[in-house]
Amino acid sequence: MYINGASAISPLPVFDAMTSGISFIPGEGNRLTAYEPAYNNLIDPKLIRRMSRVIRMGVATAMDALRQAGVSNPDAIITGTAYGCLEDTGIFLKRLVENGEEMLTPTAFIQSTHNTVGAQVALLLKCHSYNNTYVQRAQSFERSLQDARLWLTEHPGASVLVGAADELTDYSYALLERFGLYRHQAGGEGAAYYLVTDAASEKSWARVDQVYTLFDPGPEELQDLAAALLQEASGQIDLLLSGEEEMDYNADQYAKVSSVLGYGLPVIRYKKYCGVYPTATAFASWLAAWWLKAGKVEVDGLQLLSPGRILIYQADPSGYHSFILLSAC
Amino acid sequence: MNREQLVEELKQQIIEQLNLQVQPADIVASDPLFNEGLGLDSIDALELIVLMQQKYRIKLANAEDGPKIFQSVDTMADFILANQTPQAG
Repeated sequence: MYINGASAISPLPVFDAMTSGISFIPGEGNRLTAYEPAYNNLIDPKLIRRMSRVIRMGVATAMDALRQAGVSNPDAIITGTAYGCLEDTGIFLKRLVENGEEMLTPTAFIQSTHNTVGAQVALLLKCHSYNNTYVQRAQSFERSLQDARLWLTEHPGASVLVGAADELTDYSYALLERFGLYRHQAGGEGAAYYLVTDAASEKSWARVDQVYTLFDPGPEELQDLAAALLQEASGQIDLLLSGEEEMDYNADQYAKVSSVLGYGLPVIRYKKYCGVYPTATAFASWLAAWWLKAGKVEVDGLQLLSPGRILIYQADPSGYHSFILLSAC
Repeated sequence: MNREQLVEELKQQIIEQLNLQVQPADIVASDPLFNEGLGLDSIDALELIVLMQQKYRIKLANAEDGPKIFQSVDTMADFILANQTPQAG
């Protein structure tokens, strides 16, 4: 599966990376807010007024990925989100309480469902094709990628718009912070969309080789899968994009994977740039694709020329583990 | 509140309720709210019905009257003035 267009909005300003490049400066504070572009150039201002931040981020990155790939109407739209449209959900619930369950306005209710981002993209494109949203905590993006692969297997030559979006609101930050989720690493948010096909083109950024998901794996299962991935990559993985956080609850699992891949393998912890959120692997995938397309990695004092394969590994405290292997094309 | 004040208040209320990216001065009170003019749609119509209930305590008895009542800011103001219950005190 080949990435022919990729766009991301995150706390690290990457949306305009094509023109401005990227300054890799880790976010400060305990809540990282996405660096959003001027949407008026991307979405009809008449439609923006009803869109919450997560919808705007999702729609803008989807449109940008399509534009890059030169595709006006994809054959499928697949979206992953763990939290869904939290801002609108909060507004709707607040009014529900304040108005005694009466006189509820429709907009927040309509926009609060998890599939709103994918639906808004389809509405804007007048796209009546397959449209699905996966809501599976820290594997929401991975499930979307897997569905995109299946779709392309069943529909050779098709183009699929696949991505993920999650937002952090005042309410969700306050609650998740109380749960201790951001004790060692800042909370984050973001959106990323990709236009993928089953064949390479001159516009291709990278190839998605494998997407593996595991739930609560034991050490052996994890070790075996990491070894299988390394073998699949002919022993040539050039960089590990790790979801490991400071004082990570799953530090043992991350160490286990590193031991299989080889301790000499360069590792970059991507969550210091995007913060902690369940679909952060969508941001990590964008970074990997960007570096594979550029043919070099320059970050954290690390310099890698012509990287061939980049592996993304995330072990979420909820028990959801995932591997995404991308290679240059 | 006289009619002129009500019209200005309505413009502000509509902008806030519908999150419109315009200023009150940009809205011509006699211009159509739907299709032409502000270009509102059916979801906005529901928002305006709720606005009428919440802010002015007026419930639309007959949905078929909607297009006439919500034709413009002027027609909304006329309807409110004709149907609002005087407040005690």
